[in-house]
Amino acid sequence: MPNQNNTVLVIGSGVGGMKAAMDLSEAGRDVVLIDQAASIGGLMTRLDRTFPTNNCDLCTIAPNLSENARDKHIEVLPLTQVSALQGQAGDFTATLTRAPRYIDMEKCTACGECHKAFPECVRFEPGLDHRAPTCMRYPQATPQAFSIDMEKCEDTAALVNACPAGAINPDDGERTEERQVGAVVLAIGAELFDPSGLENFGYGVYPDVVTGLEYERIMSASGPTGGELVRPSNGKPPQRVAWIQCVGSRGINREDVSYCSGVCCMYALKEAIVTKERFQDDIEATIFYMDMRTYGKDYELYYDRAKKTYGVRLERCRPHSIISDAASGQLTISYATDASSALTTEKFDMVVLSTGFRVTENACQLARVLGIELNEHNFARTQSFSPVATSRPGVYVCGVFESPKDIPETMMQASAAACLASKNLVPVAAGNGEAELPPERDVSGEEPRIGVFVCDCEQNIGGAVDVDALAAYAGKLPGVVLSQSAGHGCSREALEKIKAAIVEQNLNRVVIGGCSPRTHENLFQNTLREAGLNKYLVEMANIRDQDTWVHMNYPEMAMTKAKDLIRMAVAGVAQAQALKDNTLPMNKDVLVLGGGVSGMNAALELADQGHRVYLAEQAGHLGGMALAVRKTLEGDDVPSYMADLIEKVSQHALIEVITQAIVVDHFGMPGMYKTGFQIGPRMYYRQIEHGATVLATGATHNVPRAYSLGEHAAVTTQIELDSVIEDQPERVKDWGQLVMIQCVGSRVPENPNCSRICCQSAIKNALRALDLNPDMRVFILYRDMRTYGFSEDYYAEARRRGVIFVRYETDTPPEVTPDGDKVKIAFADPIIGRKLAVTADCLALSTGMAVNEEATEDLATIFHLNRSLDGSFLEEHIKLRPTDLSIPGFFVAGSAHAPKNIKECIAQAQAAASRVLSMLSKDTINLGATVARVDPEKCATCLVCVRACPYGVPFINEDRYSEIDPAKCHGCGTCAAECPAKAIELTRFEDAPIMARLEGLLERSA
Amino acid sequence: MITAERKPMDEIMGMIDGCGRILLVGCNECVTVCAAGGRKEVALLAAGLQMASMKKGRALDVREMTLERQCDPEYVEELAPHIDQVDAVVSMACGCGVQEVARRFKKTPVYPALNTKFMGASEGPGIWAERCQGCGDCLLGLTGGICPIARCAKRLMNGPCGGSTNGKCEIGNDVDCAWHLIWERMKELGIEDRYEDVIAAKDWRTGRGNGPRKILREDLA
Amino acid sequence: MEQFEPTIVAFCCHYCAYTAADMAGSMRLVYPPNVKIIRVPCSGKVDTLHIMKALEKGADGVLVAGCLEGDCHFKTGNVKALQRVTYLQGYLEEIGIEAERVQMVTMSAGMGGRFARITTEFTEKIRELGPNPVNAGGSRLAAS
Repeated sequence: MPNQNNTVLVIGSGVGGMKAAMDLSEAGRDVVLIDQAASIGGLMTRLDRTFPTNNCDLCTIAPNLSENARDKHIEVLPLTQVSALQGQAGDFTATLTRAPRYIDMEKCTACGECHKAFPECVRFEPGLDHRAPTCMRYPQATPQAFSIDMEKCEDTAALVNACPAGAINPDDGERTEERQVGAVVLAIGAELFDPSGLENFGYGVYPDVVTGLEYERIMSASGPTGGELVRPSNGKPPQRVAWIQCVGSRGINREDVSYCSGVCCMYALKEAIVTKERFQDDIEATIFYMDMRTYGKDYELYYDRAKKTYGVRLERCRPHSIISDAASGQLTISYATDASSALTTEKFDMVVLSTGFRVTENACQLARVLGIELNEHNFARTQSFSPVATSRPGVYVCGVFESPKDIPETMMQASAAACLASKNLVPVAAGNGEAELPPERDVSGEEPRIGVFVCDCEQNIGGAVDVDALAAYAGKLPGVVLSQSAGHGCSREALEKIKAAIVEQNLNRVVIGGCSPRTHENLFQNTLREAGLNKYLVEMANIRDQDTWVHMNYPEMAMTKAKDLIRMAVAGVAQAQALKDNTLPMNKDVLVLGGGVSGMNAALELADQGHRVYLAEQAGHLGGMALAVRKTLEGDDVPSYMADLIEKVSQHALIEVITQAIVVDHFGMPGMYKTGFQIGPRMYYRQIEHGATVLATGATHNVPRAYSLGEHAAVTTQIELDSVIEDQPERVKDWGQLVMIQCVGSRVPENPNCSRICCQSAIKNALRALDLNPDMRVFILYRDMRTYGFSEDYYAEARRRGVIFVRYETDTPPEVTPDGDKVKIAFADPIIGRKLAVTADCLALSTGMAVNEEATEDLATIFHLNRSLDGSFLEEHIKLRPTDLSIPGFFVAGSAHAPKNIKECIAQAQAAASRVLSMLSKDTINLGATVARVDPEKCATCLVCVRACPYGVPFINEDRYSEIDPAKCHGCGTCAAECPAKAIELTRFEDAPIMARLEGLLERSA
Repeated sequence: MITAERKPMDEIMGMIDGCGRILLVGCNECVTVCAAGGRKEVALLAAGLQMASMKKGRALDVREMTLERQCDPEYVEELAPHIDQVDAVVSMACGCGVQEVARRFKKTPVYPALNTKFMGASEGPGIWAERCQGCGDCLLGLTGGICPIARCAKRLMNGPCGGSTNGKCEIGNDVDCAWHLIWERMKELGIEDRYEDVIAAKDWRTGRGNGPRKILREDLA
Repeated sequence: MEQFEPTIVAFCCHYCAYTAADMAGSMRLVYPPNVKIIRVPCSGKVDTLHIMKALEKGADGVLVAGCLEGDCHFKTGNVKALQRVTYLQGYLEEIGIEAERVQMVTMSAGMGGRFARITTEFTEKIRELGPNPVNAGGSRLAAS
């Protein structure tokens, strides 16, 4: 029977699959998360660092990995594949086939003895070492158990005997089971291109030619060289490293694919920056590229930093081959640039091939099993207005298997897929029971028994301070009964150890010497709770973000400061008290701001899943920027899509559309917000109560004063040209020459970021104009063509159909002069080295988008939201939480986050809906435990708190003392700081722990 | 409430010069409300005194206590267990509290840390203004609820002097003319016709004119 | 003579200044190790007494770091913090301690660079002022 199912099958456990699984489980859905690999994590776990923050990947993702395994709603099945999918959306039967692990997970303790006994067989470094049978891919692998590849094992008996737990079972066999699921999310990613077949680059022949991923592994602290950057050929540090972009991508040669892999430019820049930053800044880093495609949010700034701050050299050309120079042991690259027609030859110590994404035959096979259509490149086929739905209803796709993309976009699509998948399930049951936890031990009155756990976070902390020595130091501090190094404290294994230590040593307080409580406190609080301690009895000493990262090169300083920070934390935690969180009922209604494509899609998804939605739009009608668009690059009709969308939204029983609405005030907290509007021409005031907010306030069409725009009739923008082509084709038929200029008002000092959509728009308009008027000459003057992903095919088609692409530099921009009703455009052609002039009937400027400065500034002020440097809303985490904003209960979708095309806006709108669904699935709001408490004995009823509270919460009660309702208190502590009788304490930040920290810091032994 | 302000640090330091250990005593009544001598100010002054001493290279031990009310002997008695251990008491109460402590503990010097200012009201966060001089014969019923004795610089009883300009007193722009306020208030009450009623010459014996005052309630005594 | 290494306490609000400090770390910006952070929910939570106690116990300087003006997560905590710091500076002068040892600063969560710059400048300023006079005889000269 359909719609009785609450389970989603998620195939693939990389970041995309994990994100989808976590969104669904947070929303109270059950998830079966399968992966053909032995542990979850996917590609991201193999990277060293991520752009553009250069954060360590494992640190970024490890909490998610551990969290995943801990979530009761998620069943993780590694080594598992789907062999059949029957039924229909809402009622599928999936046949799962599990490959043998040869290890009994119940018995395995992850001691690693098998790994020690067979060191020669351990595969730890994908791509650099092909040996195998026992394989745990990275230190935080979840599940923690090892797995064995029996085919490669020669002496089974010896292997079985190596295990002290008797967990190895050589007779383990393949198992098949059926699962009833309501929907399927495909998040299988893709493989990276193997360049072995390209003889010209000598990959696999010259050891110092490596792929981008292998270079990541070499730099990674968990990699084969322990984080030392050395040449594979001789183990010595390289002095000159080159990157060659687009290896296997954007090509027409043997083994090439035509599309752009979308991420390689950024990862090459990142690898080059990290090389200089972490290893030696005198290592020369050179990137050979065709177009630098840094089109993501703030990526252009990263590109600028690579060039200006780090001195990464960028050479625009695509070298043909790499030759090994036997005499020097170096690699020779010969290349030509615009500057000279002669070939330049240079020697490098290492060459990194920037290889892109490939769909494997395995994935194609899976697509056949699932019965979904693939596109011409064998990626899952989706539609322009339906970014994550495959051709089979109930089966959704996210991440790279949909099209090449980076992590933030994968995260958006993963949430979007979760949102659509949950539509096929039974309506979510109210009040999903919390996981059962052991009773909390009462520690009041006990002397502190503090356990200190110091993380090494690999090189992040361990690289700067001696973690064991630090732990030994902490062991001598007052109240500390146990102190030890914890490795990756946030790994599943370490968390289990901490839990065990709490119980065994009867600890009543814990200090984690690790990273920031902002990101990890929650994880450790849960760990304490699971060990039967109140979650507020843990304190984190932030020795990574605020010490070792800062003083990486001054180990002595770092160590002294680390000791100070640990001492403060130990002194503080000794004063910590057990506290109870306050809760309130959750308001399940949603406010969506902005009635464009993003806002309407978010509203529809939420209303379809049972939430009342207030859709507020500043303009007098729905539609937003997309109303000006006629066609997508793929040729889909935008106006009919918009008409349909507006109709659906306007007719939906659960959506109330409020136009001409301006936000004027805002109060409350996540789960119970109140937002005031002035509405309509008479500006009447109305307050809306809602639990969550989606900001889809869009951007504006950028209209810079450049190239006679707005002064000459022949000069127009791409968006206007799009309408002219559709609405006045006869005009286009008369044109002799059409010129386009890219990056007008983008990638300039005033607006440094790339507007992302303009290259596609230009190609789209060029091709459509040529359809109408094939004899017309079209010129596109550009800086870098950024037709990422499959839009590269349209760029190739444009070249094939005769569009002339001429690059310009910012120091010699095109010059535009009126020429009657036409305009003359003069520009330098760098290839032929001459100045040319074209008289055009139409000059279309690719002006892109700009942040709606006024709207975002007002909203950011009213809602207290942070903004990025460009003025757009700043997401909570640039990689993993691109749709969440810094304040819980606020989510962003569409171009209010960063420039996007319609398909990308829809994906983020559905993602925002998913995030809201996750949040609002709970029936209560946790207010935390930080509230002001009054001691009636001390209160002098002076009214200072009543007057000082920014929210007007305290009052003098009938018993003649100040009373503060914990449900209303926001926990700022202003009253506590002002109380002249010292009668108010802010829980978690009482005077005692603050004073204790000061004493801990200042009473150092001389 | 009775309002007060902390004395300058130099003066307080001068009084306790030579003391090795002092008892700093706050009061949880009026001086807490006017942010002069409550638990918080006691702690701040204790820290300040210690810092000033350390700066001079001297050790000063400051013990902190805050009584519910320093002007009641039962509360003052709470100091008894500590009094012999200190060289002096520094009181952060109004003058009443200082004297009560001094009366109880004859052999230990008691120094005031505050200058007691006036009986006043809170005009807003951080602002206190004088309202009453305790004349012992309240005439607020005749003056629209505004006291010309406490609020007129000249204590005039029958209308303003020539220095009243635009509702302000001639001694400074931030001082309201009490008689202007009285006039405005009487208008509000609709009794402006009574403004010119002559108030008889005041008998100041109910105030300080007859020496220190005392109240005796025989039913309670 | 060894360079004087001051001990500086920074009370940082969770939403802006503490986040900015983390940001400085993730940007690998170098700033002096002298500054030790105590996290508070809002700069409005910073009690004058906490600052006094820090100085009394021997800190050479105290920073109170909140959100940019108008951006306080709790509306006006940073304004109140500034008022308190200003009041306290007067009190310190009375005691004979340099008012510059206490400073209120503001920054947004994204301003890792500003955090690093402010802490560097403040440390330099305190270094010039020399040890906190309550640490008699300058016994707190760098020993380690």
